[in-house]
Amino acid sequence: MSQQEHIGPSTEELVVEAREALRDRVRRRATGLGDHFKREWQIYVLLLPTILWFGLFLYKPMYGLQIAFKDYSIFRGIDGSPWIGFEHFQTLFGNDQFLRAIKNTVIISFFTLLFGFPAPIILALMFNEILNQTYKRTAQTIVYLPHFISTVIIAGIVMTAFSPSAGIVNAVLEWFGMDPVYFLTKPEWFRPIFVGSGIWQEAGFQSIVYLAAIAGVNPSLYESAVVDGASRWQMMWKVTLPSILPTIIIMLIIRIGNLLEVGFELIILLYQPATYETADVINTFIYRQGLQQGQYDLAAAAGLFNAVVAFVLVMTANTISKRVSRTSLW
Amino acid sequence: MSGVSLDKIVKRYGALEVVHGIDLKIAPKEFVVLVGPSGCGKSTTLRMIAGLEEISDGTCRIGDRVVNRVAPKDRDVAMVFQNYALYPHLSVADNIAFGLRIRRTPKAEIASSVEEVAGILGLTPYLDRRPADLSGGQRQRVAMGRAIVRHPEVFLFDEPLSNLDAKLRTQMRAEIKRLHKRLGVTSVYVTHDQVEAMTLADRIVVMRDGRIEQIGTPMELFNDPVNTFVAGFIGSPPMNQFEAVVEMGERGPVAVANGARIALPALDSLRNAQGRRVIIGIRPEHASIEPMPGASAVPVELDLIETLGSEALLHSSIGETPFVIKAETGGDTAHLADVDAFHVAPERIKVFDHETGRVLGAARMGVAA
Amino acid sequence: MKMNLYSRGDKWFVIANMVLVGLFTIATLYPFLYIAGVSFSSGFAAAAGTVVLTPVEFTLAAYERVLSEPEFWRSYGNTFIYTFGGTAVSLLIIIPGAYALSRPQLIGRRFWNLFVAFTMWFNAGLIPFFLNMRDLGLLDSYFGIIIGFALNAFNIILLRNFFESIPSSFEEAARMDGANEFQVLWKVYVPLSKPAIATITLFCIVARWNGFFWAMVLLQSEDKIPLQVYLRQLIAELSDDEEFTSTLIDAAYSVETVTAAIIVCSIIPVLLIYPWVQKYFNKGILLGGVKE
Repeated sequence: MSQQEHIGPSTEELVVEAREALRDRVRRRATGLGDHFKREWQIYVLLLPTILWFGLFLYKPMYGLQIAFKDYSIFRGIDGSPWIGFEHFQTLFGNDQFLRAIKNTVIISFFTLLFGFPAPIILALMFNEILNQTYKRTAQTIVYLPHFISTVIIAGIVMTAFSPSAGIVNAVLEWFGMDPVYFLTKPEWFRPIFVGSGIWQEAGFQSIVYLAAIAGVNPSLYESAVVDGASRWQMMWKVTLPSILPTIIIMLIIRIGNLLEVGFELIILLYQPATYETADVINTFIYRQGLQQGQYDLAAAAGLFNAVVAFVLVMTANTISKRVSRTSLW
Repeated sequence: MSGVSLDKIVKRYGALEVVHGIDLKIAPKEFVVLVGPSGCGKSTTLRMIAGLEEISDGTCRIGDRVVNRVAPKDRDVAMVFQNYALYPHLSVADNIAFGLRIRRTPKAEIASSVEEVAGILGLTPYLDRRPADLSGGQRQRVAMGRAIVRHPEVFLFDEPLSNLDAKLRTQMRAEIKRLHKRLGVTSVYVTHDQVEAMTLADRIVVMRDGRIEQIGTPMELFNDPVNTFVAGFIGSPPMNQFEAVVEMGERGPVAVANGARIALPALDSLRNAQGRRVIIGIRPEHASIEPMPGASAVPVELDLIETLGSEALLHSSIGETPFVIKAETGGDTAHLADVDAFHVAPERIKVFDHETGRVLGAARMGVAA
Repeated sequence: MKMNLYSRGDKWFVIANMVLVGLFTIATLYPFLYIAGVSFSSGFAAAAGTVVLTPVEFTLAAYERVLSEPEFWRSYGNTFIYTFGGTAVSLLIIIPGAYALSRPQLIGRRFWNLFVAFTMWFNAGLIPFFLNMRDLGLLDSYFGIIIGFALNAFNIILLRNFFESIPSSFEEAARMDGANEFQVLWKVYVPLSKPAIATITLFCIVARWNGFFWAMVLLQSEDKIPLQVYLRQLIAELSDDEEFTSTLIDAAYSVETVTAAIIVCSIIPVLLIYPWVQKYFNKGILLGGVKE
């Protein structure tokens, strides 16, 4: 072949070169890692704060989780407290309040999923059918807003709205000639109010994902449907909905994975002893037992139970979602 | 100016070897184009010269310096990327000045360098614009400006024209060529487009599967491809290739294919080659529709005429084998419809080994000792 | 350009749909307008439940009361400290961290990414986190609130994904020009990632501005609490009040109107940045978050 056209190196050069190459290789083997850090130390400097933070604020507490199996006392500390095995778990599962909290968590989650999951899909489909862009954009701007409002204000609004003396809800009831109801002290009303205010706050914002999916539908599908004489109602059912089905499935799986994540901050703000019966969930139970009454070890055990169940749910959901998203258009 | 020399360069990703010990010497001021199909290792080779990929084995020198362990910034090379990598948040002037700023070049010097480069590339009116406000060709020029401004020893180009439309590509190709003439900087240019390679290169390096197939000037590769791969890769439309069996005719070796008899050059390796299976290569340009003295006439069946203007491509077949003829039209295609044979001079025919695809003996009988 | 491709039957569908969307929109908007109305009404009117939308017996008494309250100003100031201090600290850690995690040459990259992502799936829970903060001496401190909630896996992964989507030639070009990692990050990646960084900034600001639970749990001193915790105390009073019915029959303001006024004051900054917020909530950002 013709690469020898340019005059090659002399023998002398070749020897020097060979020696250099050899030295090079020896050096690389001996100091591979040291060399790497010498060259790339900067990325480790950049990474360090993140790792320290996660270690200090999220992994160190995992070490502290062991108090779920200990008779924890503040004075002896985490390490000094004696092991007691599964005693706290036995106590918990013999505790009516804890069992009630599990039941409430499941029920509230279930209703949040049942009503809260379809709401943003319906909303997105409806937004999609609005032809007037100004109207559509204004409505969207408004329904996204509650997502950015703090839980405290949501609670304040709910309490004001359902107040027996000043609330608009009771004012309406009175207008129809009915007696005012003190909704927030009635256990049977807590769940509807909680689930409803959740939809009120989040449905709009969650619809963004579905609107994005709808925006990705090939317009020629609609055009050919029009040519085939489909009505808008039929197009919504036969074109839009099937097209965004993969997104719906993925979102459903994610939601199921986070099933136990009940918005307990809002519950803490809204519930009262009279409604514990239907409102008390695992996290509010932990909050009361641990942070308010100082039974840290028992509350940590409840938290561990919650975290393990949640972990299993999330992992299952992740596995399913990976399998689904491989075959679906995402 | 420095040359570049690669000595048994190897690139491995774990157990997978993608470049298998390449040897290449690039002279100072030379313009070398690495060309080959995607995945042939040409970009990897370029990136090893740039220092963006670690060299697994072998030695890379720029000038007299072994640069295997030298960081890209200290190699004194500049690179033009396929997507230009222009910073959208910086103006044209700041994009060009970026490297100088990083190197803490004095402000006055930066300003004059940027001005000079902008002048060379015709970018002076656009210095304050953002890349988003430029056309494709202008962006390409900014990308080159960023490389030129540092006065590197070596320019590296990684498919710099592949994002442009056909017309612009032709135009920028000429501009790169002119720029190289003017600056005289050693250049290594990677492309998968053989036309770019032919027009730009002092020498072309044809690569396949991590190996060099052939190195040579554009005309060497065109006239004397070492194997069927290079023969098929260089030239457009590609060289016609078909199987044939060698027989001995009265005046020398003859190839027989689909009943046609084609006189072959009198090569050493075709002596006593009766019955040998070979691959015959004939460039479309070398197949003439006019009879020539000493040329064999090969009957063909005409399928289709593609008119290009001054030339036409005659898609035809020898029996079952497709064959393309490039013919002058002389402004008129009427006479082409009657073509029923082509004529080819024996010395224009390439003969390749059937198994290895290698070209058979360049030396002619009688010339060889 | 949508053509009039639809039949007459569709017209009713379109109109019905518009009405339904309108109703939902009004239902979303109404509580805010109602609260605003209450905040400008007299205490008597608010307590009697006569406010429907517009202020009844218009008065600025509630605002005068709120704005003359030193606790309001202090908590408002604290919220600003937590919001801007917290967001700044978050960005200072997240940006370099996400960049490092996106670098292919980082040794143990898979491990470190998992180290971060794992906390999305499993966390120790309220009690161990609280005890840890206590052991670190971060109870009742500004610094504790700011640093303790500086990061979360979601934001880091969001930004890391964005960094990974930037073509490597940008980094390579900068590197050949002689830039080191810090320069590549600061001069190339940060400017190229403005939308992603803006999104994360937004997430941080909104979370900080609205955060109340941990501030309530970790802060004991009245002078360190943020607005939301202060507001919560007032709302708690409000609900206690219900049991007695209002005693402030003819006062110019009542607990209801004062609370409403504070809610309005607390929402105003959110409304001010809202147009900017909206700009960034598009497809890519939300889906980018969903994809791990």
